[in-house]
Amino acid sequence: MTERVAVTGAGVVAPTGIGVEAFGQALRRGRSGTRPITAFACDGLDTRIGAQVDDAAFDPAAFVHPPKLLKLMSRPATFAVAAAAMARSNAALGPEDVDPDRLGVCLGAGGMGPLDLDLLAGQAMAVLDAASDAGTPAFDVPSFARAFRARTNPLSMLRGLPNLAAAHVAIQQGARGPNTTVATACTAGTQAIGDALRTIQRGEADVMLAGGADSMINPVGLLGFSMLGTLSCRNDEAETACRPFDRDRDGFVIGEGAAVIVLERESFARARGATVWAELAGCSATCDAYRITDERPDGSGPATSIRRCLRDAGAEPADVGYINAHGTGTQMNDRIETQAIKRVFGDAVSIPVSSTKSMTGHLLAAAGAVELVACLLALQSDFLPPTINYRTPDPECDLDCVPNAARLARFDAALSNSFGFGGQNACLMIRRW
Amino acid sequence: MPDDSSLVSREAIPDLVRRIVADVLMVPLDKVGPQTALVAELGAESIDFIDLVFRLEQGLGLKIPLARWGSFIEQRLEGQDLARAITTDVLREFAEREAGLG
Repeated sequence: MTERVAVTGAGVVAPTGIGVEAFGQALRRGRSGTRPITAFACDGLDTRIGAQVDDAAFDPAAFVHPPKLLKLMSRPATFAVAAAAMARSNAALGPEDVDPDRLGVCLGAGGMGPLDLDLLAGQAMAVLDAASDAGTPAFDVPSFARAFRARTNPLSMLRGLPNLAAAHVAIQQGARGPNTTVATACTAGTQAIGDALRTIQRGEADVMLAGGADSMINPVGLLGFSMLGTLSCRNDEAETACRPFDRDRDGFVIGEGAAVIVLERESFARARGATVWAELAGCSATCDAYRITDERPDGSGPATSIRRCLRDAGAEPADVGYINAHGTGTQMNDRIETQAIKRVFGDAVSIPVSSTKSMTGHLLAAAGAVELVACLLALQSDFLPPTINYRTPDPECDLDCVPNAARLARFDAALSNSFGFGGQNACLMIRRW
Repeated sequence: MPDDSSLVSREAIPDLVRRIVADVLMVPLDKVGPQTALVAELGAESIDFIDLVFRLEQGLGLKIPLARWGSFIEQRLEGQDLARAITTDVLREFAEREAGLG
């Protein structure tokens, strides 16, 4: 019999709150974190709203030693480092409490390359320089290379490597054990936590720091998702733009942030007298193997993932008391996810299913990690986070989506769903300890 | 020898170098003296020297191949403990030489 794996700490940097306390309060109050984007000028773009981390409340320098490492960190890396430090402190896991070789890190990351504004501006200006050198708008690589070299700090590339968030967390936390980065788009955070569970089950680590971090609130990220037609265009109703399971939903709102949890082997957690939030009971990760952005119309892809997660946890559908949906607020996701849930839990499913993305926006590679923290807070404090902005029922999404206000409820197990481009499906299950 | 000479005057170089060191290693300006050891005292690592040379290029308005910094150090500090020997002053010397003032 494999030992259970305990969640002993959690840290979060989210658009609705920094730290588990603030984030939990926002969930209970159903507070929206979606706003007009202020990170850069969006005039004229189809979508000009997002869920940004409040820079006035978030000081990365408080979590980074020595400070010079900050210049090597992308925005998501700073979120990850902060979330990991908060999670470890929440777990009361001191520097002497774990052998560094038995402490690992597994994070979901965006992997879309260096997209911060500095580098983007450097590239764009280099293209312009190259064009004016050549006296023609044609793109000429040698001219571009000369201009790029003169304008771009050589360290910029290091900020864009997808594995660097996990590396920075390892440096800050002295974690010399297994270190993995998962790049499965919007399932990455969920899958990273699942992989960390497996790492402990395989006996390769006693403690894992697991989660995800992402930020695509930059011109390329925003335009990219916008041009694919996935983003809400409710620019004049920024706070209520994301409407999962509502008939009039028109897309997701792009978010940013990170969450990291501390996972420990049961005997290790007991030996050090750790306080346990919950058991991380099971995980799954599958692929539709169908199309890149369309999901199988019958919902069988996500349903397979949900079933495998339950089986991995040794649980029955009836054991699940709350489902945190992927619930992006796109027409397709919410319809197919409803079908998938019904395939597993029955047509007359009565389990509450909410989408916290209605409040946080879609944190992409960090989404699953932040949503697992939402599940942990809900389990611990006996409430169900709401799906806010819910107005008009959709017969194709006829679930109890905990509309608009949090609900008091005690439950013993929660399931968290994440689905992503490429047909990725991943689930996690937590259970009362 | 440098491709062409810098527009920065000899007098301006010590201050420019100090500011670059403070910016790159993210330490207060008053922690950067002429004899401050960049590695042993300010924690510089290999990529910080890439950053230092890049910022010197920008500050002096010159192109400085990275390899030239390597060979300068090799000759100038031969046999010494580089962690202690690479000081702000050594970087200033390099900057002056690149600017055609050395």
